[in-house]
Amino acid sequence: MKVKDVLIRDISAVFEDETVEDFVRICSMQSFSGLPVVDENMVVVGYISENDVINAAVPSYFSLLQSVSFLPDTHQLVQRLQKIKEHTVSQYMRTPAVTVKEEDSLIHVADLIIRRRLKVVPVVDDQGRLVGIVTRMGVLKGAMEKGG
Amino acid sequence: MRVATVTLNPAVDRQLIVPNFEVNQLHRLTGPESSAMTPGGKGINVAMLLDVLGISVVAMSILAGYTGRILEEELRRLHPRITTNFVYTSGETRENIAIVDPIKDTITEINSSGPKVDEKTMDVFLKRYIMTLSRVNTVVISGSVPPGVSAGYCMDLVRRAKQQKKTVIVEGIGRFFEEVVRNDCPHVVRPDLRRTQTVFDRSLETLEDYVELAKEFIRLGAEAAVISYQVVSDIVATKEGVWVFTSKEKVEKSHLFGTGDAFVAGIVYGIDRGLSYYEALKYGMAAAIAETKYVEKSALSISEIEKYLDAFEVRSAV
Repeated sequence: MKVKDVLIRDISAVFEDETVEDFVRICSMQSFSGLPVVDENMVVVGYISENDVINAAVPSYFSLLQSVSFLPDTHQLVQRLQKIKEHTVSQYMRTPAVTVKEEDSLIHVADLIIRRRLKVVPVVDDQGRLVGIVTRMGVLKGAMEKGG
Repeated sequence: MRVATVTLNPAVDRQLIVPNFEVNQLHRLTGPESSAMTPGGKGINVAMLLDVLGISVVAMSILAGYTGRILEEELRRLHPRITTNFVYTSGETRENIAIVDPIKDTITEINSSGPKVDEKTMDVFLKRYIMTLSRVNTVVISGSVPPGVSAGYCMDLVRRAKQQKKTVIVEGIGRFFEEVVRNDCPHVVRPDLRRTQTVFDRSLETLEDYVELAKEFIRLGAEAAVISYQVVSDIVATKEGVWVFTSKEKVEKSHLFGTGDAFVAGIVYGIDRGLSYYEALKYGMAAAIAETKYVEKSALSISEIEKYLDAFEVRSAV
């Protein structure tokens, strides 16, 4: 089986110069957990997920603590989100984006999903332009139907 | 992707087949085949038809809410080859209800207005539209316009596509359609005359009225124009002349559902094959006649369209 067999031909994406607020708005309305980041030619230049935004909003010293449950709620998350919401997506996206091509094997995508802990993998053409996405459930469903 | 379809006000179409439909009466549907729920809106319909004709297409729309999600999921399930690039806004995508009565040969349609689109959503959509333009040859902008979207916005969509040397086809009605045609005329225009027969403040009554309107579209800069005339005819025009295409086939009124979209899809198919506008119009007519053979949507094939290329009379209207 190949990527093209489970490809969802959806090219929803955010641009590098769009804001974190734009990203959150699009994701919440369309129930996405993340989006490919593209340039004006639709070339995938990165990927941003809800995790990336939460990581950016949580104070960095939190990672040094075993638990934050003893800290009083100081609305730090809220305050930091207010601060970064006008920032561009390019500041928080992961680069380079992990991408696959339509002719890649399904096992290659499954391997990437496990190793890189990805929920969604953008699919690109030979020029690196977005043609769609592969999801974890798409891989599972595709493999299951093929077996049946 | 060779074609982009733009549907600013898409819908979930609910088609109910009710023999002997009467208002003020309780009707029970006889089975699942009497009821269909499909993605709709003129541009979405054209995208689905182009997909079955083997043309790679990207469908662009502004969706909203739960109904929007249903539309998106159904489109993906029915036509997985169609690329989608949707933007969401608040509210709910509209539902269009059509009650088809094959006994009395009637179609009763109830269309809702759609969600109010805010400026932010329009900006987000425009940005994605500009990006998509670089990847297609033809743009079809079709259907009604939701509340909140201005005529200027529609004109901007046409202008940007023309600037990038794309072939632009527009189907619509009302002030927005007229302003778009007057301001920067698309290559192909088709007024949607289902609800009103008035265009440019002129009421269309006689054949001459229709022919004059077709000429007016060409004078304004269109390469081709199509105007539906009575049930079985279309007035078509190019810079070379004006013709009346009349179907030789018997056309059931209850089978007219989607024939306008089939006409547009046939034109796009012809243009995509590199045919002249006149020949592309013939493909449009053949596709529309082929579509009348079905009650359901998106049932065309290339062989069927070509079968009906001789199924209509052509006479000059000049």
